[in-house]
Amino acid sequence: MRVSPSYAVFTVTFAAVFSLVYVLAVEKNWALFSYAPATGTFAPLTTPAAAGPTMYWYGWIATAAIVAGAVAAVASLLPERLAKFVWPGFAWAVPVAVLIAFGYLLSGYFLR
Amino acid sequence: MWITLLIAHGLAAFMLLGAVTHQALGVWLPARSKSPTFVNRLRSVPPASYVNAIVVLFLTTMILGGIIYTNYRIGARLTLERARFWKTFGAFELKEHIVTIGFGILPAYWYFWRAASREESAVTRAMLTTVLAFVVWWGFLVGHLANNVRGLGT
Repeated sequence: MRVSPSYAVFTVTFAAVFSLVYVLAVEKNWALFSYAPATGTFAPLTTPAAAGPTMYWYGWIATAAIVAGAVAAVASLLPERLAKFVWPGFAWAVPVAVLIAFGYLLSGYFLR
Repeated sequence: MWITLLIAHGLAAFMLLGAVTHQALGVWLPARSKSPTFVNRLRSVPPASYVNAIVVLFLTTMILGGIIYTNYRIGARLTLERARFWKTFGAFELKEHIVTIGFGILPAYWYFWRAASREESAVTRAMLTTVLAFVVWWGFLVGHLANNVRGLGT
């Protein structure tokens, strides 16, 4: 299968940036939209639900996906001499670091 | 409808678990002989043949889980909080984030299995498979645990 080398840069950048932006979105509550499961309504940004709990998870994913998609698209335009500096290991090393960070951030639930 | 979705989510997760486990074993412990034992057969699968199935099953499982999550949020989650099942509660919170990180690595996972040079990307491919296997195992076990504590229809 022939795929453009710039797609490699896109996927590696997307994985790394998506992970980083997602953990920031969760911590800072940068949700692109929110959802009220009790009423089944969507609202922009972090609008609280009129009734019941507010869900931000979908909004965090949307924020992370859009930012990562934009950054990865720009990175995929890098000339080949610069693109070779994009280490493929970023695709798994950054997500692993973020997983460890989430474990630390939520460790309070396991230490009660 | 929720029960049907939960069963579909569980079945998709079960198939995904099998596929990604086969692939991870094929990557880390490939069969060196043609011994007809169960373990040897488990390890002798061609790992690359699972890639598209894993991507499709991951997305299917995540979408179904994302729909069911709305019901969990207004039902089971409150029960877990009131009963102070903090470890289960925390494990499910972690599942939400771990699965999302798994979603983020899917394009790279697909690329390094299907399009990248075989020799140069072996380590990246193996590590992405390992991360994805961890994500799927965590999601499966914690989802099962939370469902046992307070599943739909209970």
